[in-house]
Amino acid sequence: MAGIELAPAEIQVLQDLTILVFAPFVSGAVAHLEGRLQGRRGPRILQPYYDIAKLFHKETLVPEDASWVFLAGPVVAFACYLTVPLLIPVLTQYPLPLGYMGDILGGGFILSLAGFAVGLAALETGGAYAQLGSSRAMTFGALIEPSILFVTFTVALVTATDLPYFEAAAVRSSLGQAIDPAHLLAAVAFFLVVLNDTSRIPVETHASTLEFGMIDEARTLEHSGPAFALLKWGSAMKQLILYVILINVFAAPWGEAGSRQVGPVLLAIPAFIGKALGVGAIFAVIDSSFSKLRLFKITEFMAVAFLLAVLAVLVLFLGAR
Amino acid sequence: MAALGTSPTTLTDAADVLALLVLLSEFAMLRSSLSRSQVRLYAFQSLCVSVLAGFVAATRHIGELYGLMSMSFVLKVIVVPMIILRLVKEVRVDVTAGHRIGVATMVLLAIVLSIFGIFVVGRLPVHSRSLPILPLALAAAVILVSFLLVIVRNDVVSQAIGFFSLENGVSVASLVLAAGLPLIVELAFLFDLLVAVVVFALLMRVHHGRAGTLSTQALDRLRG
Repeated sequence: MAGIELAPAEIQVLQDLTILVFAPFVSGAVAHLEGRLQGRRGPRILQPYYDIAKLFHKETLVPEDASWVFLAGPVVAFACYLTVPLLIPVLTQYPLPLGYMGDILGGGFILSLAGFAVGLAALETGGAYAQLGSSRAMTFGALIEPSILFVTFTVALVTATDLPYFEAAAVRSSLGQAIDPAHLLAAVAFFLVVLNDTSRIPVETHASTLEFGMIDEARTLEHSGPAFALLKWGSAMKQLILYVILINVFAAPWGEAGSRQVGPVLLAIPAFIGKALGVGAIFAVIDSSFSKLRLFKITEFMAVAFLLAVLAVLVLFLGAR
Repeated sequence: MAALGTSPTTLTDAADVLALLVLLSEFAMLRSSLSRSQVRLYAFQSLCVSVLAGFVAATRHIGELYGLMSMSFVLKVIVVPMIILRLVKEVRVDVTAGHRIGVATMVLLAIVLSIFGIFVVGRLPVHSRSLPILPLALAAAVILVSFLLVIVRNDVVSQAIGFFSLENGVSVASLVLAAGLPLIVELAFLFDLLVAVVVFALLMRVHHGRAGTLSTQALDRLRG
Protein backbone atom coordinates (compact mmCIF):
# COMPACT_ATOMS: atom_id res chain seq x y z
CA MET A 1 0.00 0.00 0.00
CA ALA A 2 2.72 2.42 1.03
CA GLY A 3 4.68 2.27 -2.18
CA ILE A 4 1.95 2.99 -4.68
CA GLU A 5 1.69 6.58 -5.81
CA LEU A 6 -1.24 8.05 -7.69
CA ALA A 7 -0.71 10.27 -10.71
CA PRO A 8 -1.97 13.86 -10.20
CA ALA A 9 -4.58 13.28 -12.91
CA GLU A 10 -5.91 10.27 -11.03
CA ILE A 11 -6.18 12.27 -7.82
CA GLN A 12 -8.08 14.95 -9.68
CA VAL A 13 -10.54 12.45 -11.06
CA LEU A 14 -10.86 11.07 -7.54
CA GLN A 15 -11.68 14.59 -6.23
CA ASP A 16 -14.44 14.91 -8.79
CA LEU A 17 -15.76 11.46 -7.99
CA THR A 18 -15.77 12.21 -4.26
CA ILE A 19 -18.00 15.21 -4.83
CA LEU A 20 -20.15 13.40 -7.39
CA VAL A 21 -20.75 10.28 -5.32
CA PHE A 22 -20.99 11.68 -1.81
CA ALA A 23 -22.98 14.89 -2.46
CA PRO A 24 -26.41 13.18 -2.19
CA PHE A 25 -25.20 11.30 0.90
CA VAL A 26 -24.28 14.54 2.70
CA SER A 27 -27.60 16.13 1.68
CA GLY A 28 -29.49 13.09 2.89
CA ALA A 29 -27.62 12.97 6.18
CA VAL A 30 -28.29 16.67 6.82
CA ALA A 31 -31.98 16.24 5.95
CA HIS A 32 -32.17 13.23 8.28
CA LEU A 33 -30.55 15.12 11.14
CA GLU A 34 -32.86 18.05 10.53
CA GLY A 35 -35.86 15.76 10.79
CA ARG A 36 -34.54 14.34 14.05
CA LEU A 37 -33.93 17.82 15.48
CA GLN A 38 -37.48 18.82 14.62
CA GLY A 39 -38.95 15.75 16.32
CA ARG A 40 -39.65 13.87 13.10
CA ARG A 41 -38.03 10.64 12.03
CA GLY A 42 -36.64 12.34 8.96
CA PRO A 43 -36.07 10.83 5.52
CA ARG A 44 -33.66 7.94 5.07
CA ILE A 45 -30.05 9.04 4.72
CA LEU A 46 -29.84 7.42 1.28
CA GLN A 47 -33.14 8.95 0.13
CA PRO A 48 -31.54 11.45 -2.32
CA TYR A 49 -29.96 8.53 -4.22
CA TYR A 50 -33.34 6.82 -4.57
CA ASP A 51 -34.92 10.09 -5.69
CA ILE A 52 -32.28 10.68 -8.33
CA ALA A 53 -32.46 7.06 -9.56
CA LYS A 54 -36.25 7.28 -9.76
CA LEU A 55 -36.16 10.54 -11.69
CA PHE A 56 -33.74 9.11 -14.22
CA HIS A 57 -36.38 6.52 -15.14
CA LYS A 58 -39.17 9.06 -15.57
CA GLU A 59 -40.11 10.69 -18.84
CA THR A 60 -39.14 14.28 -19.59
CA LEU A 61 -41.95 16.78 -20.01
CA VAL A 62 -41.14 20.03 -21.76
CA PRO A 63 -43.40 23.11 -21.58
CA GLU A 64 -44.90 24.00 -24.94
CA ASP A 65 -42.99 27.21 -25.60
CA ALA A 66 -39.65 26.05 -24.25
CA SER A 67 -36.69 25.67 -26.60
CA TRP A 68 -33.52 23.59 -26.33
CA VAL A 69 -32.25 25.96 -23.62
CA PHE A 70 -34.71 24.39 -21.21
CA LEU A 71 -33.03 20.98 -21.57
CA ALA A 72 -29.48 22.28 -21.94
CA GLY A 73 -29.59 24.32 -18.72
CA PRO A 74 -29.40 21.41 -16.26
CA VAL A 75 -26.66 19.71 -18.28
CA VAL A 76 -24.52 22.87 -18.42
CA ALA A 77 -25.02 23.43 -14.70
CA PHE A 78 -24.04 19.83 -13.95
CA ALA A 79 -20.91 20.19 -16.08
CA CYS A 80 -20.01 23.36 -14.15
CA TYR A 81 -20.38 21.57 -10.83
CA LEU A 82 -18.07 18.84 -12.16
CA THR A 83 -15.46 21.46 -13.15
CA VAL A 84 -15.17 23.33 -9.86
CA PRO A 85 -13.77 20.40 -7.79
CA LEU A 86 -10.75 20.43 -10.11
CA LEU A 87 -9.83 23.88 -8.79
CA ILE A 88 -10.26 23.47 -5.04
CA PRO A 89 -8.49 21.41 -2.36
CA VAL A 90 -10.82 18.46 -1.79
CA LEU A 91 -8.36 15.69 -0.95
CA THR A 92 -4.85 17.11 -1.08
CA GLN A 93 -2.90 19.82 0.71
CA TYR A 94 -0.68 20.53 -2.29
CA PRO A 95 -2.00 22.12 -5.49
CA LEU A 96 -2.80 19.68 -8.28
CA PRO A 97 -1.84 20.70 -11.84
CA LEU A 98 -5.33 21.81 -12.84
CA GLY A 99 -5.62 23.73 -9.56
CA TYR A 100 -3.73 26.57 -11.22
CA MET A 101 -6.39 26.77 -13.92
CA GLY A 102 -8.54 29.13 -11.86
CA ASP A 103 -8.55 30.94 -8.52
CA ILE A 104 -11.38 31.52 -6.05
CA LEU A 105 -12.89 34.09 -8.40
CA GLY A 106 -12.63 31.62 -11.28
CA GLY A 107 -14.45 28.99 -9.25
CA GLY A 108 -17.03 31.61 -8.30
CA PHE A 109 -17.54 32.47 -11.97
CA ILE A 110 -18.10 28.84 -12.88
CA LEU A 111 -20.62 28.48 -10.05
CA SER A 112 -22.37 31.64 -11.28
CA LEU A 113 -22.40 30.23 -14.79
CA ALA A 114 -24.22 27.18 -13.43
CA GLY A 115 -26.70 29.47 -11.66
CA PHE A 116 -27.13 31.42 -14.88
CA ALA A 117 -27.83 28.24 -16.90
CA VAL A 118 -30.45 27.07 -14.39
CA GLY A 119 -31.98 30.55 -14.30
CA LEU A 120 -32.16 30.72 -18.06
CA ALA A 121 -33.80 27.28 -18.26
CA ALA A 122 -36.34 28.47 -15.68
CA LEU A 123 -37.08 31.61 -17.70
CA GLU A 124 -37.64 29.44 -20.79
CA THR A 125 -40.59 27.67 -19.18
CA GLY A 126 -42.86 30.69 -19.01
CA GLY A 127 -44.09 29.34 -15.67
CA ALA A 128 -44.83 32.11 -13.19
CA TYR A 129 -43.11 30.56 -10.17
CA ALA A 130 -40.04 29.38 -12.07
CA GLN A 131 -39.56 32.87 -13.44
CA LEU A 132 -40.11 34.41 -10.02
CA GLY A 133 -37.46 32.11 -8.56
CA SER A 134 -35.08 32.85 -11.39
CA SER A 135 -35.41 36.59 -10.99
CA ARG A 136 -35.07 36.42 -7.20
CA ALA A 137 -32.03 34.14 -7.42
CA MET A 138 -30.34 36.60 -9.79
CA THR A 139 -31.15 39.59 -7.57
CA PHE A 140 -29.93 38.03 -4.35
CA GLY A 141 -26.96 36.51 -6.14
CA ALA A 142 -25.92 40.01 -7.17
CA LEU A 143 -26.44 41.30 -3.62
CA ILE A 144 -24.26 38.62 -2.01
CA GLU A 145 -21.52 39.10 -4.61
CA PRO A 146 -19.78 42.05 -2.82
CA SER A 147 -19.26 39.86 0.24
CA ILE A 148 -17.68 37.13 -1.89
CA LEU A 149 -15.42 39.73 -3.50
CA PHE A 150 -14.25 41.08 -0.16
CA VAL A 151 -13.61 37.58 1.15
CA THR A 152 -11.48 37.03 -1.95
CA PHE A 153 -9.65 40.30 -1.27
CA THR A 154 -8.92 39.08 2.25
CA VAL A 155 -7.48 35.84 0.89
CA ALA A 156 -5.46 37.82 -1.64
CA LEU A 157 -4.07 40.14 1.05
CA VAL A 158 -3.12 37.22 3.30
CA THR A 159 -1.45 35.04 0.70
CA ALA A 160 -0.54 37.49 -2.10
CA THR A 161 -2.39 35.13 -4.43
CA ASP A 162 -6.00 34.09 -4.57
CA LEU A 163 -5.54 30.39 -5.04
CA PRO A 164 -7.53 28.49 -2.41
CA TYR A 165 -4.62 26.07 -1.78
CA PHE A 166 -2.40 28.86 -0.49
CA GLU A 167 -5.00 30.23 1.92
CA ALA A 168 -5.43 26.72 3.34
CA ALA A 169 -1.63 26.39 3.66
CA ALA A 170 -1.48 29.75 5.46
CA VAL A 171 -4.14 28.62 7.94
CA ARG A 172 -2.29 25.34 8.53
CA SER A 173 1.04 27.10 8.99
CA SER A 174 0.34 28.45 12.47
CA LEU A 175 -2.32 28.70 15.12
CA GLY A 176 -1.80 32.47 15.06
CA GLN A 177 -2.99 32.60 11.47
CA ALA A 178 -6.01 30.45 12.31
CA ILE A 179 -7.22 32.85 15.03
CA ASP A 180 -6.13 35.98 13.18
CA PRO A 181 -9.12 38.35 13.39
CA ALA A 182 -9.14 39.00 9.65
CA HIS A 183 -9.21 35.31 8.93
CA LEU A 184 -12.00 34.70 11.45
CA LEU A 185 -14.09 37.52 9.98
CA ALA A 186 -13.60 36.28 6.42
CA ALA A 187 -14.46 32.74 7.49
CA VAL A 188 -17.68 33.86 9.19
CA ALA A 189 -18.58 36.03 6.21
CA PHE A 190 -18.03 33.07 3.91
CA PHE A 191 -20.13 30.93 6.25
CA LEU A 192 -23.01 33.39 5.75
CA VAL A 193 -22.43 33.30 1.99
CA VAL A 194 -22.66 29.49 2.07
CA LEU A 195 -25.83 29.76 4.16
CA ASN A 196 -27.28 31.94 1.41
CA ASP A 197 -26.01 29.92 -1.53
CA THR A 198 -27.21 26.57 -0.22
CA SER A 199 -30.66 28.13 0.37
CA ARG A 200 -30.65 27.62 4.12
CA ILE A 201 -33.05 28.98 6.67
CA PRO A 202 -32.49 32.67 7.31
CA VAL A 203 -32.77 33.14 3.55
CA GLU A 204 -34.94 30.31 2.31
CA THR A 205 -36.70 27.23 3.64
CA HIS A 206 -35.04 24.70 1.40
CA ALA A 207 -37.47 21.86 2.05
CA SER A 208 -40.61 23.98 1.81
CA THR A 209 -43.32 23.63 -0.81
CA LEU A 210 -44.59 27.17 -0.35
CA GLU A 211 -43.79 29.00 -3.56
CA PHE A 212 -44.00 32.54 -2.18
CA GLY A 213 -40.90 32.15 -0.01
CA MET A 214 -38.91 30.29 -2.62
CA ILE A 215 -35.79 31.58 -4.27
CA ASP A 216 -33.50 28.86 -5.61
CA GLU A 217 -35.98 26.03 -5.22
CA ALA A 218 -38.63 27.67 -7.40
CA ARG A 219 -36.38 27.62 -10.44
CA THR A 220 -36.66 23.87 -10.85
CA LEU A 221 -40.44 23.59 -10.49
CA GLU A 222 -41.09 23.03 -14.20
CA HIS A 223 -38.39 20.41 -14.74
CA SER A 224 -39.06 16.69 -14.72
CA GLY A 225 -37.37 13.38 -15.41
CA PRO A 226 -33.61 13.10 -15.99
CA ALA A 227 -33.19 16.88 -16.30
CA PHE A 228 -34.72 17.32 -12.85
CA ALA A 229 -32.49 14.52 -11.54
CA LEU A 230 -29.46 16.42 -12.83
CA LEU A 231 -30.70 19.61 -11.15
CA LYS A 232 -31.21 17.86 -7.82
CA TRP A 233 -27.88 16.12 -8.01
CA GLY A 234 -26.26 19.38 -9.11
CA SER A 235 -27.65 21.32 -6.18
CA ALA A 236 -26.38 18.64 -3.77
CA MET A 237 -22.96 18.90 -5.46
CA LYS A 238 -23.00 22.68 -5.23
CA GLN A 239 -23.70 22.38 -1.52
CA LEU A 240 -20.80 19.96 -1.03
CA ILE A 241 -18.48 22.15 -3.13
CA LEU A 242 -19.28 25.15 -0.92
CA TYR A 243 -18.68 22.98 2.15
CA VAL A 244 -15.30 22.04 0.67
CA ILE A 245 -14.30 25.67 0.29
CA LEU A 246 -15.59 26.54 3.76
CA ILE A 247 -13.86 23.59 5.44
CA ASN A 248 -10.71 22.99 3.46
CA VAL A 249 -9.86 26.61 2.80
CA PHE A 250 -11.11 28.56 5.82
CA ALA A 251 -12.32 26.58 8.79
CA ALA A 252 -10.42 23.32 9.17
CA PRO A 253 -7.90 22.55 6.43
CA TRP A 254 -6.53 19.53 8.27
CA GLY A 255 -6.72 15.87 7.33
CA GLU A 256 -6.08 16.09 3.62
CA ALA A 257 -3.33 14.05 2.03
CA GLY A 258 0.13 15.60 2.09
CA SER A 259 1.57 13.13 -0.41
CA ARG A 260 0.48 11.23 -3.49
CA GLN A 261 0.49 7.85 -1.68
CA VAL A 262 -2.67 5.80 -2.09
CA GLY A 263 -3.21 5.44 1.66
CA PRO A 264 -3.36 9.12 2.70
CA VAL A 265 -5.33 10.08 -0.41
CA LEU A 266 -7.97 7.42 0.25
CA LEU A 267 -8.03 8.27 3.96
CA ALA A 268 -8.65 11.89 3.03
CA ILE A 269 -12.07 10.90 1.65
CA PRO A 270 -13.66 9.73 4.93
CA ALA A 271 -11.88 12.56 6.77
CA PHE A 272 -13.44 15.09 4.42
CA ILE A 273 -16.88 13.49 4.52
CA GLY A 274 -16.69 13.51 8.33
CA LYS A 275 -15.87 17.23 8.35
CA ALA A 276 -18.63 17.91 5.81
CA LEU A 277 -21.13 16.10 8.04
CA GLY A 278 -19.94 18.22 10.97
CA VAL A 279 -20.59 21.41 9.00
CA GLY A 280 -23.90 19.97 7.81
CA ALA A 281 -24.88 19.36 11.45
CA ILE A 282 -24.22 23.05 12.22
CA PHE A 283 -26.42 24.01 9.28
CA ALA A 284 -29.15 21.63 10.45
CA VAL A 285 -29.07 23.18 13.93
CA ILE A 286 -29.31 26.67 12.43
CA ASP A 287 -32.15 25.47 10.22
CA SER A 288 -34.11 24.23 13.22
CA SER A 289 -33.47 27.12 15.58
CA PHE A 290 -34.01 30.25 13.47
CA SER A 291 -36.95 31.48 11.48
CA LYS A 292 -36.91 32.46 7.87
CA LEU A 293 -36.39 36.14 7.16
CA ARG A 294 -39.06 38.00 5.26
CA LEU A 295 -38.02 38.41 1.65
CA PHE A 296 -37.36 42.12 1.96
CA LYS A 297 -35.27 41.60 5.08
CA ILE A 298 -32.82 39.31 3.33
CA THR A 299 -30.80 42.39 2.37
CA GLU A 300 -30.14 42.86 6.10
CA PHE A 301 -28.63 39.39 6.26
CA MET A 302 -26.46 40.25 3.28
CA ALA A 303 -25.45 43.55 4.85
CA VAL A 304 -24.13 41.56 7.83
CA ALA A 305 -22.06 39.29 5.56
CA PHE A 306 -20.75 42.37 3.75
CA LEU A 307 -19.91 44.10 7.04
CA LEU A 308 -17.84 41.12 8.22
CA ALA A 309 -16.01 40.82 4.90
CA VAL A 310 -15.24 44.56 4.76
CA LEU A 311 -14.00 44.54 8.35
CA ALA A 312 -11.71 41.61 7.45
CA VAL A 313 -10.06 43.68 4.73
CA LEU A 314 -9.82 46.74 7.02
CA VAL A 315 -8.24 44.74 9.83
CA LEU A 316 -5.71 43.31 7.40
CA PHE A 317 -4.92 46.76 6.12
CA LEU A 318 -4.10 47.96 9.64
CA GLY A 319 -2.44 44.73 10.71
CA ALA A 320 -0.02 44.85 7.81
CA ARG A 321 1.48 48.13 8.94
CA MET B 1 0.26 24.82 21.93
CA ALA B 2 1.46 26.34 25.19
CA ALA B 3 4.35 28.04 23.46
CA LEU B 4 2.06 29.34 20.76
CA GLY B 5 -0.47 30.52 23.32
CA THR B 6 1.90 33.05 24.81
CA SER B 7 3.60 34.28 21.66
CA PRO B 8 3.17 38.03 21.13
CA THR B 9 1.24 37.75 17.84
CA THR B 10 -1.33 35.42 19.40
CA LEU B 11 -1.74 37.82 22.31
CA THR B 12 -2.33 40.84 20.09
CA ASP B 13 -4.65 38.70 17.96
CA ALA B 14 -6.76 37.90 21.00
CA ALA B 15 -6.93 41.61 21.91
CA ASP B 16 -7.87 42.43 18.33
CA VAL B 17 -10.65 39.83 18.37
CA LEU B 18 -12.03 41.29 21.61
CA ALA B 19 -12.00 44.82 20.18
CA LEU B 20 -13.67 43.50 17.03
CA LEU B 21 -16.41 41.91 19.14
CA VAL B 22 -16.99 45.31 20.73
CA LEU B 23 -17.46 46.85 17.28
CA LEU B 24 -19.65 44.00 16.01
CA SER B 25 -21.94 44.23 19.02
CA GLU B 26 -22.24 47.95 18.33
CA PHE B 27 -23.41 47.08 14.82
CA ALA B 28 -25.84 44.53 16.25
CA MET B 29 -27.25 47.19 18.59
CA LEU B 30 -27.67 49.49 15.62
CA ARG B 31 -29.91 47.03 13.81
CA SER B 32 -31.69 45.16 16.60
CA SER B 33 -35.38 45.96 16.82
CA LEU B 34 -36.10 44.88 20.40
CA SER B 35 -35.14 47.13 23.30
CA ARG B 36 -34.42 44.09 25.43
CA SER B 37 -31.96 42.60 22.95
CA GLN B 38 -30.30 45.99 22.64
CA VAL B 39 -29.71 46.06 26.39
CA ARG B 40 -28.39 42.50 26.34
CA LEU B 41 -26.03 43.39 23.51
CA TYR B 42 -24.83 46.31 25.57
CA ALA B 43 -24.14 43.94 28.46
CA PHE B 44 -22.22 41.66 26.10
CA GLN B 45 -20.22 44.59 24.74
CA SER B 46 -19.37 45.72 28.27
CA LEU B 47 -18.33 42.17 29.07
CA CYS B 48 -15.91 42.27 26.12
CA VAL B 49 -14.49 45.58 27.35
CA SER B 50 -14.06 44.18 30.86
CA VAL B 51 -12.32 41.07 29.53
CA LEU B 52 -10.07 43.29 27.40
CA ALA B 53 -9.18 45.32 30.50
CA GLY B 54 -8.39 42.13 32.40
CA PHE B 55 -6.40 40.90 29.43
CA VAL B 56 -4.25 44.04 29.35
CA ALA B 57 -3.87 43.86 33.13
CA ALA B 58 -2.65 40.27 32.97
CA THR B 59 -0.34 40.55 29.99
CA ARG B 60 1.16 43.96 30.72
CA HIS B 61 1.16 43.58 34.54
CA ILE B 62 -0.81 46.72 35.32
CA GLY B 63 -2.44 46.03 38.67
CA GLU B 64 -4.91 48.91 38.71
CA LEU B 65 -6.64 47.57 35.63
CA TYR B 66 -7.92 44.61 37.65
CA GLY B 67 -9.79 47.12 39.76
CA LEU B 68 -11.16 48.78 36.65
CA MET B 69 -12.13 45.41 35.22
CA SER B 70 -14.13 44.38 38.26
CA MET B 71 -15.73 47.80 38.63
CA SER B 72 -16.80 47.94 35.00
CA PHE B 73 -17.98 44.32 35.13
CA VAL B 74 -20.21 44.95 38.12
CA LEU B 75 -21.54 48.27 36.85
CA LYS B 76 -21.82 47.85 33.09
CA VAL B 77 -22.54 44.14 32.76
CA ILE B 78 -24.87 43.73 35.73
CA VAL B 79 -26.20 46.94 37.31
CA VAL B 80 -26.85 49.24 34.34
CA PRO B 81 -28.48 46.59 32.08
CA MET B 82 -30.63 45.48 35.01
CA ILE B 83 -31.85 49.02 35.65
CA ILE B 84 -32.65 49.61 31.97
CA LEU B 85 -34.31 46.22 31.57
CA ARG B 86 -36.51 46.91 34.59
CA LEU B 87 -37.50 50.27 33.12
CA VAL B 88 -38.29 48.70 29.75
CA LYS B 89 -40.39 46.08 31.49
CA GLU B 90 -42.25 48.75 33.44
CA VAL B 91 -43.30 50.72 30.39
CA ARG B 92 -44.28 47.53 28.53
CA VAL B 93 -42.89 48.62 25.18
CA ASP B 94 -41.08 45.78 23.46
CA VAL B 95 -40.43 46.81 19.92
CA THR B 96 -38.46 50.00 19.45
CA ALA B 97 -40.05 52.87 17.58
CA GLY B 98 -38.03 52.19 14.44
CA HIS B 99 -35.49 54.21 12.58
CA ARG B 100 -35.33 57.01 10.09
CA ILE B 101 -33.71 54.93 7.32
CA GLY B 102 -33.78 51.27 6.23
CA VAL B 103 -31.68 48.74 8.11
CA ALA B 104 -29.45 47.81 5.17
CA THR B 105 -28.81 51.50 4.41
CA MET B 106 -28.09 52.07 8.08
CA VAL B 107 -25.55 49.25 8.17
CA LEU B 108 -23.90 50.48 4.96
CA LEU B 109 -23.70 53.99 6.39
CA ALA B 110 -22.18 52.58 9.56
CA ILE B 111 -19.66 50.62 7.47
CA VAL B 112 -18.64 53.84 5.71
CA LEU B 113 -18.30 55.61 9.08
CA SER B 114 -16.20 52.84 10.55
CA ILE B 115 -13.97 52.74 7.47
CA PHE B 116 -13.45 56.46 8.00
CA GLY B 117 -12.73 56.03 11.69
CA ILE B 118 -10.43 53.05 11.23
CA PHE B 119 -8.41 54.66 8.45
CA VAL B 120 -8.04 58.05 10.09
CA VAL B 121 -7.09 56.74 13.52
CA GLY B 122 -5.05 53.88 12.07
CA ARG B 123 -2.87 56.48 10.34
CA LEU B 124 -1.99 58.22 13.61
CA PRO B 125 1.62 57.68 14.70
CA VAL B 126 0.61 56.18 18.05
CA HIS B 127 2.84 53.60 19.68
CA SER B 128 1.15 52.20 22.70
CA ARG B 129 2.97 49.91 25.06
CA SER B 130 -0.20 48.13 26.13
CA LEU B 131 -2.01 47.22 22.91
CA PRO B 132 -1.55 47.43 19.13
CA ILE B 133 -3.09 50.29 17.16
CA LEU B 134 -5.98 48.21 15.80
CA PRO B 135 -8.13 48.32 18.97
CA LEU B 136 -7.74 52.11 19.01
CA ALA B 137 -8.92 52.32 15.40
CA LEU B 138 -11.81 49.99 16.19
CA ALA B 139 -12.68 52.12 19.22
CA ALA B 140 -12.92 55.16 16.93
CA ALA B 141 -15.28 53.16 14.72
CA VAL B 142 -17.35 52.17 17.79
CA ILE B 143 -17.67 55.82 18.79
CA LEU B 144 -18.75 56.90 15.29
CA VAL B 145 -21.26 54.05 14.95
CA SER B 146 -22.72 54.84 18.37
CA PHE B 147 -23.21 58.44 17.22
CA LEU B 148 -25.08 57.06 14.22
CA LEU B 149 -27.15 54.87 16.55
CA VAL B 150 -28.16 57.89 18.59
CA ILE B 151 -28.95 59.91 15.47
CA VAL B 152 -31.01 57.46 13.41
CA ARG B 153 -32.92 55.57 16.08
CA ASN B 154 -36.13 57.16 17.24
CA ASP B 155 -36.54 55.86 20.76
CA VAL B 156 -35.21 56.82 24.13
CA VAL B 157 -33.84 53.37 24.99
CA SER B 158 -31.73 53.29 21.82
CA GLN B 159 -30.42 56.73 22.56
CA ALA B 160 -29.51 55.79 26.11
CA ILE B 161 -27.85 52.58 24.92
CA GLY B 162 -26.03 54.53 22.21
CA PHE B 163 -24.68 56.90 24.81
CA PHE B 164 -23.60 54.09 27.15
CA SER B 165 -21.88 52.19 24.36
CA LEU B 166 -20.11 55.40 23.39
CA GLU B 167 -18.56 55.18 26.84
CA ASN B 168 -17.50 51.59 26.03
CA GLY B 169 -15.70 52.85 22.92
CA VAL B 170 -13.93 55.49 24.98
CA SER B 171 -12.93 52.80 27.50
CA VAL B 172 -11.31 50.71 24.76
CA ALA B 173 -9.49 53.76 23.43
CA SER B 174 -8.24 54.63 26.91
CA LEU B 175 -6.99 51.05 27.35
CA VAL B 176 -4.79 51.53 24.27
CA LEU B 177 -3.66 55.09 24.89
CA ALA B 178 -3.35 55.23 28.65
CA ALA B 179 -3.60 51.81 30.17
CA GLY B 180 -1.79 53.07 33.25
CA LEU B 181 -4.21 55.94 33.67
CA PRO B 182 -4.67 56.57 37.37
CA LEU B 183 -7.57 54.58 38.71
CA ILE B 184 -9.22 57.72 40.03
CA VAL B 185 -9.73 59.05 36.47
CA GLU B 186 -11.28 55.77 35.36
CA LEU B 187 -13.54 55.85 38.39
CA ALA B 188 -14.61 59.34 37.39
CA PHE B 189 -15.57 57.91 33.97
CA LEU B 190 -17.69 55.23 35.59
CA PHE B 191 -19.27 57.77 37.91
CA ASP B 192 -20.21 59.82 34.84
CA LEU B 193 -21.85 56.73 33.45
CA LEU B 194 -23.89 56.31 36.64
CA VAL B 195 -25.06 59.90 36.41
CA ALA B 196 -26.03 59.30 32.79
CA VAL B 197 -28.02 56.22 33.79
CA VAL B 198 -29.93 58.22 36.37
CA VAL B 199 -30.60 61.01 33.86
CA PHE B 200 -31.70 58.65 31.11
CA ALA B 201 -33.88 56.64 33.47
CA LEU B 202 -35.55 59.85 34.54
CA LEU B 203 -35.93 60.90 30.90
CA MET B 204 -37.48 57.58 29.95
CA ARG B 205 -39.97 57.70 32.81
CA VAL B 206 -40.97 61.32 32.31
CA HIS B 207 -41.21 60.94 28.54
CA HIS B 208 -43.24 57.77 28.78
CA GLY B 209 -45.44 59.31 31.45
CA ARG B 210 -46.19 62.33 29.28
CA ALA B 211 -46.31 60.92 25.77
CA GLY B 212 -47.30 57.33 26.49
CA THR B 213 -44.51 56.09 24.23
CA LEU B 214 -40.74 55.83 24.15
CA SER B 215 -40.50 57.24 20.65
CA THR B 216 -38.75 60.59 20.40
CA GLN B 217 -40.97 61.49 17.47
CA ALA B 218 -43.67 62.30 19.97
CA LEU B 219 -41.48 65.05 21.40
CA ASP B 220 -42.47 67.65 18.84
CA ARG B 221 -46.16 67.03 19.30
CA LEU B 222 -47.83 70.18 20.64
CA ARG B 223 -49.51 69.93 23.98
CA GLY B 224 -52.27 72.23 25.03
